[in-house]
Amino acid sequence: MEFPVTARPLPEDPMIRSLIASARRAQLNRRALLAGAGAGASALALAACSTGSGEARPSAAADKSSSDKTLNWANWAAYIDEDDAGNYPTLVAFTEETGISVNYEVAVDDNNTYYGKVKDQLALGQDIGADTVCLTDWMVSRWIRLGYTQELDHDNIPNLSNLTPSLREPDFDPGRAHSIPWQGGFAGIAWNKEAIPGGLESVSDLWDSSLKGRVGVLSEMRDTMGCIMLDNGVDISGDWGDEEYSASIEILREQVESGQVRNIKGNSYLEDLKSEDTLAAIVWSGDITVLNAEAGDKWEFAIPSAGGTLWNDNFLVPIGSPRKTNAETLINYYYEPEVAAEVAAWVNFITPVVGAKEAAIAIDPELAENQLIFPNEQTLSTAHIFRSLSGAEEQKYQAEFQSILLGA
Amino acid sequence: MVVREFAERGADLELVGIQKRFPGFTAIESLDLTIPAGSFFALLGPSGCGKTTTLRLVAGLEEPTQGRILIGGKDVTATKSHQRPVNTVFQSYALFPHMTVLENVAFGLKRRRIGDPLGKAHEALRLVELDHLAQRRPQQLSGGQQQRVALARAIVNRPALLLLDEPLGALDLKLRRQMQLELKSIQEEVGLTFLHVTHDQEEAMTMADTVAVMNKGAIEQMGAPEVLYELPRTTFVANFLGQSNLFTGAVVATTGAAITVEAGGSRIVVPTARAQRHQGEVTVGVRPEKVVLHLEEPTATPDRNLLGPGRIIDVSFSGVSTQYIIETPGLGTVLVFAQNVGMGPAAAVGDEVWVSWDVEHGFGLDDDPAEAGRFPADASTRSIAVQQREALVTELEEN
Amino acid sequence: MAFAAFATAEALPQAPKRRSRIALFLLLPGILYLVLFFLTPLVSLVLTSLQAPSEFGDIGQYDYAFNWQNYVAVVEAYLPHILRSFGYALVATVLALLFSYPLAYFIGVKARRWPLLQSLMLVLVIAPFFISFLLRTLAWKQILSDESFIITSLKALSLMAPDGHFTGTPFAVIFGLTYNFIPFMTLPLYSTLERLDTRYLEAGSDLYANAFTVFRKITIPLSMPGIVAGTLLTFIPAAGDYINASRDFLGGPDTQMMGNVIEANFLVLQNYPAAAALSIILMAVILVFVGVYVKRSGTEDLL
Repeated sequence: MEFPVTARPLPEDPMIRSLIASARRAQLNRRALLAGAGAGASALALAACSTGSGEARPSAAADKSSSDKTLNWANWAAYIDEDDAGNYPTLVAFTEETGISVNYEVAVDDNNTYYGKVKDQLALGQDIGADTVCLTDWMVSRWIRLGYTQELDHDNIPNLSNLTPSLREPDFDPGRAHSIPWQGGFAGIAWNKEAIPGGLESVSDLWDSSLKGRVGVLSEMRDTMGCIMLDNGVDISGDWGDEEYSASIEILREQVESGQVRNIKGNSYLEDLKSEDTLAAIVWSGDITVLNAEAGDKWEFAIPSAGGTLWNDNFLVPIGSPRKTNAETLINYYYEPEVAAEVAAWVNFITPVVGAKEAAIAIDPELAENQLIFPNEQTLSTAHIFRSLSGAEEQKYQAEFQSILLGA
Repeated sequence: MVVREFAERGADLELVGIQKRFPGFTAIESLDLTIPAGSFFALLGPSGCGKTTTLRLVAGLEEPTQGRILIGGKDVTATKSHQRPVNTVFQSYALFPHMTVLENVAFGLKRRRIGDPLGKAHEALRLVELDHLAQRRPQQLSGGQQQRVALARAIVNRPALLLLDEPLGALDLKLRRQMQLELKSIQEEVGLTFLHVTHDQEEAMTMADTVAVMNKGAIEQMGAPEVLYELPRTTFVANFLGQSNLFTGAVVATTGAAITVEAGGSRIVVPTARAQRHQGEVTVGVRPEKVVLHLEEPTATPDRNLLGPGRIIDVSFSGVSTQYIIETPGLGTVLVFAQNVGMGPAAAVGDEVWVSWDVEHGFGLDDDPAEAGRFPADASTRSIAVQQREALVTELEEN
Repeated sequence: MAFAAFATAEALPQAPKRRSRIALFLLLPGILYLVLFFLTPLVSLVLTSLQAPSEFGDIGQYDYAFNWQNYVAVVEAYLPHILRSFGYALVATVLALLFSYPLAYFIGVKARRWPLLQSLMLVLVIAPFFISFLLRTLAWKQILSDESFIITSLKALSLMAPDGHFTGTPFAVIFGLTYNFIPFMTLPLYSTLERLDTRYLEAGSDLYANAFTVFRKITIPLSMPGIVAGTLLTFIPAAGDYINASRDFLGGPDTQMMGNVIEANFLVLQNYPAAAALSIILMAVILVFVGVYVKRSGTEDLL
């Protein structure tokens, strides 16, 4: 399955660059006219479906935060502290403190789906209905690359000094000018303790023939491939390329085609663990904590011996939002250690806020010792961040990964 | 056990002790019936009398609760519809809408694997003069054409017994008359046994050799049409098959040749041979066309019954004849059909008249007059119409 | 013979009706609706399917072009998925027909005498619609998971290999498709059979056809409108379905259908031209199929 890969290297010289760009624009018009079939409807169609070309970057909306004390926050499900009445205590406190009323919406259930929903508005610089969204590193990387985010004013976020040092200089956003971590997690391996009393140590243990057909991996390419590549001895944060990727994807291909791996899923992998269609899998750390609490202490999570992946979901402010300062105020609020601890105690993911652990001891000392929520240096050293991919790499590696997910 | 050959000739149909019950009602009480081979037999009766049920039992579309059905001497009670040498022309025609006319006609032949089904189907269509429409769909044909296709589809199979379920009901009067004659001639031509179910007494009488009048799940009277008409045995037959003037009274004199009934102060004589009951309260009658209207009192003679004087309360002219309704004191109304031999009606409403008829034309019924009121509601539409008209006239007179 | 007298009374074709401006005017909202909500997206889809990657663009950036090779590329890459989609849809449609026909026949013909039973059974056919399609499919996934009672029982009875699975197999996907689309088969069949005039069946039986022949030669042809409607209502959505075959539901990596490929290309790979080209291929194949099918089934007279 080979597809024409999107991006070709950009010529260095800015003058040549602009010449080519304008030549291409002219060409586009002719082609569009030819294909447009002159139908009045096609004009509408063109407007409705502009997949956009590289050069026209949208510009940021004017900030009206001073007069508009509201904020729309799009986030994932079960990703903030929630009381039995369905209120979000930290948000209630935020509104009391700042006067900004927050419309918290569980609008993201998948990075790709959410992107598919809003990308056309983003390309036109329109308000997508969210002033801040929490998305995963690689998706944030794409937004920043395409100019879909606003630059954050760090003066409005003094608490940013509480950001874990290791997360300050990601390759996709040096200095955190556009994105600030919300919560993070590990991808590692988990198994059913009743079925596999001996436990597992490495990703290769998943390929044991006794587990045939009962193994699951994540449909999130970076987590699954990251774990396999680490197992293969690749430093996923470092400077690896096609060769390393190909070697690892062949392992996955072989395991899927042989039937060793049967389930390749996103969030719904938990159902398979519960129903025991899956006995061992590559999973996300926080989920296993929740699953054990919900359905009996039956599963165990471990960072594989060769290391697991570390990912973060990050706040960003979409290009069309007129409430950037309000968003910055919110981010600053959640970087207070006490607030971060309150959230971490509820969501069971890793908080990026230094001092949250100390604050958590006050809430629940046992919680503070949980390495999956408040990992120490040693734990963190076993987790690696998947390096950023260029558009071309993204398309190519995703295509290969999807070709396994889609089968022949 | 599909019958693979054409029937050589019609077969006898014998129904023995047939009873048919449906949940909640009994359609046929007890029925014994023999239809000789080659005859054209009509089952005549009002709707709901059980005649269609009888036909469906013979066709095998219903199973009798009790009794046996024999065709050509063979007991077919337990056999399925498709195994019986019987074909039906349905009231609705039931021509298959997804087949052409030709395919419809050839359907039965193909099922029986008879050689050259299409050739024979064309032949049958030629017989009903529709071969030029062989490739049409039934719904593209007129009602009369559909009826003929239904007939062709049935007779092409040369069944031992052909069942006709009010096949002419949907046709207009003129077409119906023509079809009646046509059916009769086809029956004579192919020599099959026809069992025709109808509520139209004229149709039954025109076509059938033998008519059985059915009422309330039983046969009231059976015989040649002219016998049934001239000598009805029950009030139901007398009224359903044509119209009758009926008088009820006690037998006051009996000779070897005749009985005399006194009704409403008048004496009516009926030949003993033509009366079913000879003593006590009896009902006697005469057909309206046998009655002669007199404008002056005629001389009484022993060979004629004379009633009157009465008064004409209604005259209606219908072309070939004129119908008079005469109010006779003590006897109620008397209906007279007079041939229009002269020009126009001979009498007018309000005239004082006498009526008479030949003693030989009267008949005596079998019913117990105590139960005489048993059938009026069931009477044919024509007699209902007459009754309504009488009621209306009475009402008008009173005002 | 006397028949000649009325042989001329044939059905005449209806005279063409006069065209009315008002009728055209009344049609306008419908036409506008079609243009806006059907034609526009269709044109957009066709244009997208012909796009080429932007020369210096990032992932998901394409320009309008006449890049018909997109079609060749998707057929080359996804031929197994295309064949699988139509194969699964066909099998599911046939299975749904086999299950539905007796059911619809019973409700529509046999149960006519008991209207209460008829309504009750119809309600039961429709009842699954009251629960979300996704939830029902997920429920089946649970019911038929590896450690479920059904699967362990089948294994204990040696009716299934000890290391066999149900979920993630083609059998599971076809099962899901059949199950989910059965009401779309049953209801049109019921509505045709409910109107079936049993006098035709009696006429067939009277004309020496046994029960099986009556069914084959009369009942089936007369219920053809329902069969055609039911098979189309089942086949078309089944061929484009991406829920049952999805890895999150009953499918696995080797049961992916066109819908899943389109979804992956659209959402994950951001390859909009490939997704659009596949959608158009799916639509075109279905259109051709429907055209041939309706023509061959000879239901024009009955529709």
